[in-house]
Amino acid sequence: MREGTQTSKTRLPALERLREINRAFPDAEQLRELKRSGGRIFGWLCTYTPEEVIHAAGILPVRIVGYPQETDLDDGTAYLYVNSCSFSRSCFQLAIRGQYDFLDGVVGGSTCDGVRRLFDLWRHYMDTPFYHVLNIPRKYTEKAHRLYYDEVLKFKAHLEDWLGQGISDDSLLDSVHLYNESRRLLRELYDLRRVDAPAVTGAETLEVMNASFRMPKETFNQWLQELLSEIKLSVRAHANRVRVMVVGSVLTNADFIRSIEEVGGLVVADELCTGTRYWGDPVVLDGKTPLLEAISRRYLGNFPCARMYPSDERFNRIIQTAHDFRVDGVISQNIRYCVPYCHDLPLLTQRLKAEGKPTLALDVEYGTAGSGQIRTRVQAFLEMLEARKR
Amino acid sequence: MTGHAEARTPETNKVRAIVRACRLISRMNRLRPDVTRSENLYYQMLSDYFTRLLDARNNGDFIAAHTVFFPAELLYAMDLVPMHTETTTWMTSLFTGECSDLLEAGSALGLASEICTPHRGLAGAFSLGAVPRPDVMLWSNMVCDNTAKSGELIMELAHCPGFFIDHPFKDSPEEKQYLVGELEDMVVFLEEHSGRKMNWDRLSEIVARMDRQVQLTREVNELRKSVPSPFGSRRFLELVTMDYLFPGQPAAIEYLETLKQELSDMVAQGKGAVARERFRLMSLFIPPMYLTGFLEKVSQEFGAVSVVEPFFTFWGEGRLDPAHPLESVAQKSYMLPEMRMYGPLDDRALDAITSCAREYRIDGAIYYADVGCRHTCATIKLFKDTLSEVDVPVLTLDCDVVDPTLTSQDEIREKLERFFELLEDR
Repeated sequence: MREGTQTSKTRLPALERLREINRAFPDAEQLRELKRSGGRIFGWLCTYTPEEVIHAAGILPVRIVGYPQETDLDDGTAYLYVNSCSFSRSCFQLAIRGQYDFLDGVVGGSTCDGVRRLFDLWRHYMDTPFYHVLNIPRKYTEKAHRLYYDEVLKFKAHLEDWLGQGISDDSLLDSVHLYNESRRLLRELYDLRRVDAPAVTGAETLEVMNASFRMPKETFNQWLQELLSEIKLSVRAHANRVRVMVVGSVLTNADFIRSIEEVGGLVVADELCTGTRYWGDPVVLDGKTPLLEAISRRYLGNFPCARMYPSDERFNRIIQTAHDFRVDGVISQNIRYCVPYCHDLPLLTQRLKAEGKPTLALDVEYGTAGSGQIRTRVQAFLEMLEARKR
Repeated sequence: MTGHAEARTPETNKVRAIVRACRLISRMNRLRPDVTRSENLYYQMLSDYFTRLLDARNNGDFIAAHTVFFPAELLYAMDLVPMHTETTTWMTSLFTGECSDLLEAGSALGLASEICTPHRGLAGAFSLGAVPRPDVMLWSNMVCDNTAKSGELIMELAHCPGFFIDHPFKDSPEEKQYLVGELEDMVVFLEEHSGRKMNWDRLSEIVARMDRQVQLTREVNELRKSVPSPFGSRRFLELVTMDYLFPGQPAAIEYLETLKQELSDMVAQGKGAVARERFRLMSLFIPPMYLTGFLEKVSQEFGAVSVVEPFFTFWGEGRLDPAHPLESVAQKSYMLPEMRMYGPLDDRALDAITSCAREYRIDGAIYYADVGCRHTCATIKLFKDTLSEVDVPVLTLDCDVVDPTLTSQDEIREKLERFFELLEDR
């Protein structure tokens, strides 16, 4: 299939609807409508935030992200200084310009310096009614899990106190089922790219992902099911591409992935917090573990961010994914001043090399579309990978 | 992953350079009547610390490398030789004027230029074999992502095991207990690898002295409130070093008691650290190490003296209890001045700077905006806005704490001159 050719057998109407959600966010009509009807919306800053707790309280959780493309960040820089990552500055600039005024609450965490300072300044300069910051341990030990469970309990209690009403176990269980269903469907979407000639691209997948944390899961799951059906009925196939995995900092601009795919690559897997690490593992309901503990364990033990220790847990899961999806090479895109990922790069590159997976390291700014020099470097990398396959 | 420069770089050259510099300064100081006893003690302490590190291998000692804001009390209690990693990069810059070879070696490992220079430099130092190879690497997430992420690469470079202390973000009883558990686990780790047992009685003694050390630092801070202030800007690093390198050590007590007495005498005589005190300054974060001498000259020339550093020398409230040594070591980390920057940045941090501004009668504040320090620089506007509420102007100086290539002395001097003019006009 040639890029850009849309026929009745290749068009994906459900994807178009999801794209429309992304085009408008955060100034989206469906969010305005929700507010008009008395609904509440919370923004969360990091994938360690237990969304189910917010959802079970009858509040729509949406992910706080920055501009959809690279842009001047004068206001963001004025507040967070030039050496905060451009993701934090981009998010804050949107906030300070009123684009997130619809939020009823902001939930942050001690995940990384960029996000914790974004939360600090948000709390100081914005008038969002509810704030909560979670202490997120950096280890996976039993003690760390117990501490995070305690932290999630406190978050729930704080939210209940603010709402003036409790969050029932039944509500929580419904939310867990809903979010687990979403995770299952997203896994299904990702698995489509295991084959030699996938019907869906990495850019399209990121577009789906972006919509997944910007709209009610109830609707999203329904639309994603429709999309999966449309894909199965379509005659789409992306053959003869260099299979690439993208790892590193937060990434929401699908044009970056598209730029890789326009020069001969196909992004078949990722390790992004806006990708695999978002839907990663399900909440495991074993009938013994208290519900909220099962939630907290899922979030702390999920496919890890570079902030976690030991890093081998992240490296091993990247390597396993790279093998599972038969990638030819890995592109590591690190936003400047995204220190956790910058620190991991030497060791990760070494581990991937030992597995026969070359790595291209790109320093980028949040929102980049991957044009210019980045495109040239990607092209050269893909040519090298292509030559290795011959 | 190892460096390739070991053959041309003596294993311990940076540490040896620091020792040589300290000894040289001590010898020169003997010829200067204006040098105080506390200053001489300080350089002797530095010399002793790094000499012990240099000799550790020959003496069969166990070297425990650790990052900043780390509870080195536990290492002293087990008679292990501590190696404060960032201080080694700092001191290299301070005493040799630069550390470009270490930074280049760090970059050669694949560490991006955005990684702060003390951490990039220390990875480079291990890569070059420019510091002794540690037997263990110990680190924590106090106080930023750089400290949290620096340990594993060093373990790889130094071929040694390591232990990471996961420091909780907030200070609930559960989080404090979690930290105690982390310390317990680290003691077990150290006992296993060093073959030495924790001496709990010795730890209690160290905790008792650390409590005294904190009290003495607070008393020194009280004396710095005097007009004129008796403690020179360039000596700020001495106070910081006391905790970084010598927590609960007898030498630290001797230094602080001596310093306190000297400052008391100066206050009684109405003497200040600068000949004519005109501007009382608050220092926000760390001045560039390589500019210590230059900044001292400017300070003397303009009668400007740093009288308080809320995030480096201004301890939080609390006492340490020798009867509960491990809990006290954990408690100390919550009292650290830097802790105000680690947890949620709430009224505690903001109140600290406004109350310091009032109590120390501050004319202006200088924010040393270290380009590699993201979590501090992100507070510049917030702190400026907060200090403007108490009518204290803030000068932001872009710099790097150890890399002299980022800003020139001329540029910094010009900015300082203009700032002092502004203060004068007020």
